[in-house]
Amino acid sequence: MSETLIKFDNITKRFSLRKGDIVAVKDFSLEIKKGEILTIVGASGCGKTTVLNMVAGFLTPSSGNILLDGQPITKIEPRCGMIFQNYALFPWLSVRKNVEFGPKINGVSKKVRREESAKYIEMVGLKGFEDAYPGELSGGMRQRTALCRVLANKPDILLCDEPFAALDAMTRQIMQQELLRIVNESGQTVLFITHSIDEALILSDKIVVMSVRPGTVKHIYDIELPHFGKVEVQLTDEYLKLKRQIWAMVEEEVKISMKIVSS
Amino acid sequence: MEGKELGLWGSSVIGAIGLLVFLSLWEILVRTNVIDPFFLPAPTQVIDKAIQMTTAKDAVLLTDIKISATRVLTGFLLSVLAGVPAGLILGMNPVIRAAINPIISIIRPLPALSWIPLSMLWLGIDEQQKYAIVFMGSFASILVYTTDATMRVDPTLRRAAMNLGASPLQILRYVILPGALPDLLTGLKVVLAIAWTCVISAEMVGANSGLGFRIWTAKEWSDTGQVLVGMISISVTVLVLDILFRGLERVLLPYQRKTSGT
Repeated sequence: MSETLIKFDNITKRFSLRKGDIVAVKDFSLEIKKGEILTIVGASGCGKTTVLNMVAGFLTPSSGNILLDGQPITKIEPRCGMIFQNYALFPWLSVRKNVEFGPKINGVSKKVRREESAKYIEMVGLKGFEDAYPGELSGGMRQRTALCRVLANKPDILLCDEPFAALDAMTRQIMQQELLRIVNESGQTVLFITHSIDEALILSDKIVVMSVRPGTVKHIYDIELPHFGKVEVQLTDEYLKLKRQIWAMVEEEVKISMKIVSS
Repeated sequence: MEGKELGLWGSSVIGAIGLLVFLSLWEILVRTNVIDPFFLPAPTQVIDKAIQMTTAKDAVLLTDIKISATRVLTGFLLSVLAGVPAGLILGMNPVIRAAINPIISIIRPLPALSWIPLSMLWLGIDEQQKYAIVFMGSFASILVYTTDATMRVDPTLRRAAMNLGASPLQILRYVILPGALPDLLTGLKVVLAIAWTCVISAEMVGANSGLGFRIWTAKEWSDTGQVLVGMISISVTVLVLDILFRGLERVLLPYQRKTSGT
């Protein structure tokens, strides 16, 4: 449980824009342990999505290394499976074919593919919808399919980029519970990004608050709440106390970022 | 009736009535000599002519349709074979796109008719010359439609595929191609209609068979009936091809039918 899976080693990321360089992330250091659910929260524009995209290999750090099992990530890394906010499902493929996309690309035989996709489809609760196209599904079911597609590719870590932001409040809560259940079943490591403190508190073993640009680790909270993983957790005093603390910290950052924008 | 859908049956019935009224008016105007049948024969006379042209020993109308359709489809298919792969490359590679764009911008506005002199000098009035006209008339459009369709494929889908481990070639095969297909088919449908105008023009200028040739010779003989039969044959053939094309779309894009409806 305590083995390090991902290590950010003093990461800095600069973007060159016409107006000049922007430092999106600066001196960012963090460790994610195997089996951990770690959530990054922060004001919008704090660079949390940049951090996620660097783990996936979509972006390369300007300096510093991100280590996956001790090896630096240098290219797009299928072991870091990404769940996108807008699902990114292939609209021309059925649920089953979407789920089998990764295994098919990686040369898994049709028979094994079929067995495994059936297993994962059942796990995320999409049994009976194997032949439906994404366009026929609700937002929640689309995100289940996306989750399923990534799980079937057996990544070492799930990267979640505000995956439930486009869902309505009820579906969102259900999906949070589902994610917890699935992750507990499979022992997946998760790096989750959100701007909802509630979502972070419901899901996480650890919450990282990021400062505004240049984004860096401002504070790390270890979360140990009674009734973790249940809806009642939100009613406990510990939960509310933590929420107040984290909100105060995030609010401070939001105010700074508003000053930057208005000046 | 605003906002109310007629449904397939309703609109078909109303459409048929509209057509019938139009043809009856036309028939009456000619029969009552308001219009001189020499300039515009009545529908029934056109039908007589069409029957005559199909039942005669040489069945000249059917042969002409077959010849023109073969020319269109050959030229069009050659264009697709060249234009679609080239368009995919252009859509994915900004450097090649920047290099080729000016050339396309020069070729694309040229009407197919303007290629007739050169093509006749190079190829005579053989079948190859007809294929060449259709090819020149449709290639640039197919190229542009394919390039646009390729570029419109959602970049997050590429990212998602890469994240699942797809190589560039696999992305082309499993993401770009199916992702661009709906727009591509729409474009090809438009170009197929353009290809017909190309072949008819080419046949009017230098040919001894085909619908264009038939219409043009009928004009020389002042046979307006035959001109109209030729024109209607073009419409009908294009309509039939359009229906076949829609069938192809249904087969290739089953997910669109399921998801666009209610």
